[in-house]
Amino acid sequence: MSPIPLRRLPGFLSVLIRSGALALVAGAAVAVVAGSGSLAARASTPAQIPVTSYRSASCGCCKGWVQHMRANGFAVRDVVVADLPAIKQRLGVPTRLSSCHTAEVEGFALEGHVPAADVKRLLHSRPAVAGIAVPGMPLGSPGMESAYGKEPFTVLAFTRTGAISSFSRHPQ
Amino acid sequence: MTTPMRRRQVLGLGFAALGTAMAAPALWRRLPRFDALAEPTGAATLASHGGVADLELVAQSSAGTLPGGPREVLTYNGRSPGPLLEVKAGDEVRLRLRNRLDQPTNLHFHGLHIPPTGTGDNVFLTVPPGGTTDYAFRLAKDHPAGLFYVHPHQHGLSADQVFGGLGGALVVRGDLDRIPEVAAARESVLVLKDYASTSGEEAAMGVGRMLGREGPLLTVNGTINPELPVASGGLLRLRLLNASNARIYRLALEGHPLVLIATDGRAIGTPEPLEELLLAPGERADVLVQGNQSPGTYRLLTLPYRRSGHMGIADADQVPQTLATLRYAGTVAPLPLPTTLIPVPVLPEPERTRRFVLGHAMEMGGMGGMKYAMGGMGGGGTGMGGMGMGFQINGQAFEPDRIDTRVRLGSTEDWLLVNDDVMDHPFHLHVNPFQVISRAGRPESQRRWKDTVLVRAGEEVRIRVAFRDFPGRTVYHCHNLDHEDLGLMGVLQIDGQAS
Ligand SMILES: [Cu+2]
Ligand SMILES: [Cu+2]
Repeated sequence: MSPIPLRRLPGFLSVLIRSGALALVAGAAVAVVAGSGSLAARASTPAQIPVTSYRSASCGCCKGWVQHMRANGFAVRDVVVADLPAIKQRLGVPTRLSSCHTAEVEGFALEGHVPAADVKRLLHSRPAVAGIAVPGMPLGSPGMESAYGKEPFTVLAFTRTGAISSFSRHPQ
Repeated sequence: MTTPMRRRQVLGLGFAALGTAMAAPALWRRLPRFDALAEPTGAATLASHGGVADLELVAQSSAGTLPGGPREVLTYNGRSPGPLLEVKAGDEVRLRLRNRLDQPTNLHFHGLHIPPTGTGDNVFLTVPPGGTTDYAFRLAKDHPAGLFYVHPHQHGLSADQVFGGLGGALVVRGDLDRIPEVAAARESVLVLKDYASTSGEEAAMGVGRMLGREGPLLTVNGTINPELPVASGGLLRLRLLNASNARIYRLALEGHPLVLIATDGRAIGTPEPLEELLLAPGERADVLVQGNQSPGTYRLLTLPYRRSGHMGIADADQVPQTLATLRYAGTVAPLPLPTTLIPVPVLPEPERTRRFVLGHAMEMGGMGGMKYAMGGMGGGGTGMGGMGMGFQINGQAFEPDRIDTRVRLGSTEDWLLVNDDVMDHPFHLHVNPFQVISRAGRPESQRRWKDTVLVRAGEEVRIRVAFRDFPGRTVYHCHNLDHEDLGLMGVLQIDGQAS
């Protein structure tokens, strides 16, 4: 286990970190390990882990993510809410990491189109973070499958104090 | 003789900037890019003479010169934004487009009332890489004087090309320019355009194609924070064009109201002072600024604006950002504001109302690799060729060979634009301008001509359009060009005979 080398982070994060604007939480850094085949194997247990997902009524892609999670062994409760920002705030999701839906799993926040495999790794390694996020709505992420293309994206971990670190990159 | 010298200096700068961590092979791969600097940069303005505009635009990739900006920028005649095109109402316009890109491109004459067919504002034309096309049309003698926008409209590549740097302002001289108070003002065309950072990694913070790409570098006429001189007592006419791919500007000038005189290239009836001006991609506005404050400097700002809830909001977007700086210089006898401009006529009552629902959803159909049933997903078409996630109008993604809306030349219609989405969509109609009748059920206070209207998330906007002069096939679409490329466009067929 080694902390993430800075060069693996997106440039803007490295700058933030180097400038001292963000403190990397040790736990979060340790959690980020390249290659986790054994974790992936263990994560594919049939147990139905409960997830509560919150979205606004009009969102056209949140349901796709719910389907993705269900297909990967999570028991998802799909809740339509009027005040989504209030839920993001309660779960400590930094504003700039916002996506169109927010979920909760075993005390962690999941923001946006986070791949189920990342959720499983999060639950297995349990780093000292508030949750993980895929900001925006990357084309080709779970629930966003599209013939128009696939955008690379980074899953980011965040803490209650707003420290942000790279959790995984897709494609790796 | 000067070229090799210049090139060596440029390379030296390049090496210094790249630092020590870069491996040598990567350096060598980068070298050819600097060749682009040897390309001559064309004139800043191309104007018509004696009733004829003979213009040439060369689309190409050039080395980026913005500090912290992209290494390569797409340019017209070596410029981003492209040269200012200046023509007069009544002119014969001939514009040769040379495509030196490695992909097809074309041109849209955004806002001009010219035929959508043949060599006019024909967005179904494609200029292949290495190819050349001549656009040719005549502007009517009574064509409104105003600020228009020339940009690529190659479906699937529009956003890449505009975000990459292509696009420029086109000014039509005419009636509005002859109003004495307007003519006395010092004129400045301001093309607002944002560029990606060198790394382009802002997309990893969520500002990708679904939201519409924005870059952190805000420029005016390709420059960061240029100065706008104004004389004490003077009048400044700022002609604003949002030539950005997706960014919406909420403009305010410190200490000065912005006195609106034209919207989307057409004069309004009476000047209207504004504290703030919202400008979506494709929109234009002419404003007058009176130099009547204590001499000094005042910032032209873009204020925080949320176009997609909290999504894609960078820290920088949550505070005002400076676009340009107004600087007082010299004194002139005080110039007055105009009191009236050009009346905007009332359009006839509509013959019918159509409804256009804008949104994003999974489009169903022959999409391979869809692993799960999407029952209950909104808007999904059921025919062949579903695209999966994308944008749609009334549940259908853009299909160039399908006519979505058929209207009669000479008729007037109301279009109800319903944004059923979690993000804003600026709606643009080609060829014919329209008037906004109501927003969210509330009637608009002033009649204005528009060709692009911001329909905010969850909002309904009613527009009225008269289809005049030109039959043929054209389009309407979201002017967040990533949305357009991802399907938010429809085909309009105007049936009738040109008179
Ligand atoms: Cu346009
Ligand atoms: Cu849009």
